[in-house]
Amino acid sequence: MRISQCIAPALLLLAAGAAQAASAWGFDDGSISVVAKKSAETVKEKLNQKAPLSKPVSLGNTDTLKLSLTAKDNGKGKRPHQAFLVIQEQDSGLEAPFPLTVKETGKAAVQISHKDLPIQLLLSAKPLKAFVVLASFGSAQGLSTPVFEVKIETDANAPPPAYEEPLRYGKKPEIQHVFRADAKSPPKVISLFFALAVLATLPALLIGWIYLGGNVNHLSKAIGPAPLSHATFFGSIVAMEFVFFMYYTSWNLFQTLPVIAVISAATVLSGTKALGEVQSRRLAGER
Amino acid sequence: MRSLFSLFLFLFAAVATAISASGNRLLAILDNVAEKENYSKFFGDLESRGFQISVEAPKSESLALFHLGERSYDHIIFFPTKAKGLGPNLTPNLLVDFMNAQGNILIALSSDLPTPNSLVSLLAELDIQLPADRTGLVVDHFHYDASSAPDKHDVLLLAPPSALRPDVKDFFGTGAGPDDAIAFPRGVGAVLGSSELLTPVLRAPRTAYSYNPKEQAEAVDDLFAAGEQLSLVSAFQARNSARFTLVGSAEMLQDKWFDAEVSKAAAGEKKMAKTFNREFAKRVSGWTFNEIGVLRVNWIEHHLDEAGATNESNPNIYRIKNDVKYTISLSEYAWTAWNPFTLPGDDALQLEFSMLSPFHRLPLALDAAHSSDSASAYSASLKLPDQHGIFNFAVNYKRPFLSNLEEKNTVSVRHMAHNEWPRSFVISGAWPWIAGLGVTVAGWLAFCALWMYSAPVGGKRETKKTQ
Repeated sequence: MRISQCIAPALLLLAAGAAQAASAWGFDDGSISVVAKKSAETVKEKLNQKAPLSKPVSLGNTDTLKLSLTAKDNGKGKRPHQAFLVIQEQDSGLEAPFPLTVKETGKAAVQISHKDLPIQLLLSAKPLKAFVVLASFGSAQGLSTPVFEVKIETDANAPPPAYEEPLRYGKKPEIQHVFRADAKSPPKVISLFFALAVLATLPALLIGWIYLGGNVNHLSKAIGPAPLSHATFFGSIVAMEFVFFMYYTSWNLFQTLPVIAVISAATVLSGTKALGEVQSRRLAGER
Repeated sequence: MRSLFSLFLFLFAAVATAISASGNRLLAILDNVAEKENYSKFFGDLESRGFQISVEAPKSESLALFHLGERSYDHIIFFPTKAKGLGPNLTPNLLVDFMNAQGNILIALSSDLPTPNSLVSLLAELDIQLPADRTGLVVDHFHYDASSAPDKHDVLLLAPPSALRPDVKDFFGTGAGPDDAIAFPRGVGAVLGSSELLTPVLRAPRTAYSYNPKEQAEAVDDLFAAGEQLSLVSAFQARNSARFTLVGSAEMLQDKWFDAEVSKAAAGEKKMAKTFNREFAKRVSGWTFNEIGVLRVNWIEHHLDEAGATNESNPNIYRIKNDVKYTISLSEYAWTAWNPFTLPGDDALQLEFSMLSPFHRLPLALDAAHSSDSASAYSASLKLPDQHGIFNFAVNYKRPFLSNLEEKNTVSVRHMAHNEWPRSFVISGAWPWIAGLGVTVAGWLAFCALWMYSAPVGGKRETKKTQ
């Protein structure tokens, strides 16, 4: 180990003079084949390190993709330390590396199928990009080049693999509370029409009464014998309606009740006399 | 409000002299004091920032992380040690207890020395995975320092990290020049689990990979991890905001890599560059030891925001559909002082108004009127939902690299009182009913008058009645 460490710089110096720029990793005899498990039909394509394949290769859920190549350092077959097939998802840049098994001669191969790929790559909508990375220690320039694209064909009958994105701290979607709709009223015209129709019943009632002979001719006759009690009795009935009106507009129950108590006492006291007078008229045959 | 302000001023004055936002007692675990010389610039920087450093050997008898149940140190930094275990005073359990007590830990690894069992267990607890049999070396045949490792490629040269996401503040790489490079000599790469508490600070380049130099010297058959899956410097922030950082290469903190000259092996030609290690080491240690990225809530205020109301601060009760304004004041600690906290570009500070689940989630906007030199206020106006109950004003701001904020203020929301509804005469649909009432009242009065005062018509009926 120690000796090799001493020798390495010396070798490097030699190499630097000879072929510093030219020393680079590359590959030959590259090919990929997609082997289907059921039909045993094989799609085979030759790979070129200068240009990637123009069409994406499709990989079904039971298929196996085999890649083989011969790694070369400056044209000579050699084993690099790093010989990876890197599969990349195009949108997120997520990558999955697959090391190639390499022999001393530089012959390298790897097999991948659906179960080897991470689930994020399986769910990708776009074809996946595949890179070959060949590099090793020393001064030789490494190679990292796109070679082909894989289209993942999922089984239409099987449910797609489920993937739940991990939680990441960040802002959450905004929520605006949706308020319940306000109570609605019918059009004002309709309300107004029916309000007027209701109001019109009062004159109709009064006219009906007058038509049947209703009158207030006994007013003076009634007031005569019991002026105070009649005024108080009728006044208290009107006042009671006024109290109800005040209760509707502004008073609360505790303001209303005492006033009602006072008014009803007045009604009872004056009512006995006033209604007694009415009775006396009835007994006199004047009603 | 005034007492809040004076409290805040008092706190501010108390903190202005401190260096880290959470104490300055730093424990360094090193094999021997002589080794400290290698890190003299790093330690010098720490001391100049006000840390009191105590150096201990891992198996020292006098070493105790807790004294009478209280932390004896605020921060720990582990350097690689030769020992396989760290002794009974630094068990993973104790280290987890230390983090639970809001202590911060920085661990520096080295590929030359296997990681102690205690630290491997702690890392496993935090969902950080190290290469099998505790030995791994990260190499990259494309981004290495051509002057110090032309053959072994084990000194990685990395571009200073940029912001993790557009909505995350960049604490570690800002201000670095395009030619600056971080040297990562002979380090260990880790693989992070999917926990939301873990964040990579420095990722390996695409072409880097980790291998076992003892067993895989010839070829890599079984790969631990490669490319950006390898995290070279990783950060973990617990829910209690205790911080933990794993630095894969302790050597990058050594004097010889601070402001060293390195040459990038870019496509054959050699390009000299200076290392960014000193500044990066300062930022990584500063983040871990709570010198940057620490948030503080100064005060929270909410009030009714309606014309004609008293609008007092922080009432306990509101009514449904009230207009309410909420304001929160935040400061961020940066090296020596509390500064106003500004949100990173795409991020939003969000207010939730929630009962079990949020009814509103609204962004808070900067409120310049209530901000100052050391604090910035954020506020939002909202209409309370039409649902009564016990609600929370909740601000849950958790972001990578920033200490966690979780603030809840509980208020009751009552329903409408009976006299707060619109009156019936305002509602047009009620008009016929009100008219009906009026007609009934008038008709009743007319009937009373008629019944009492009407004279009989015709007048010939009494003979029938008296029979």
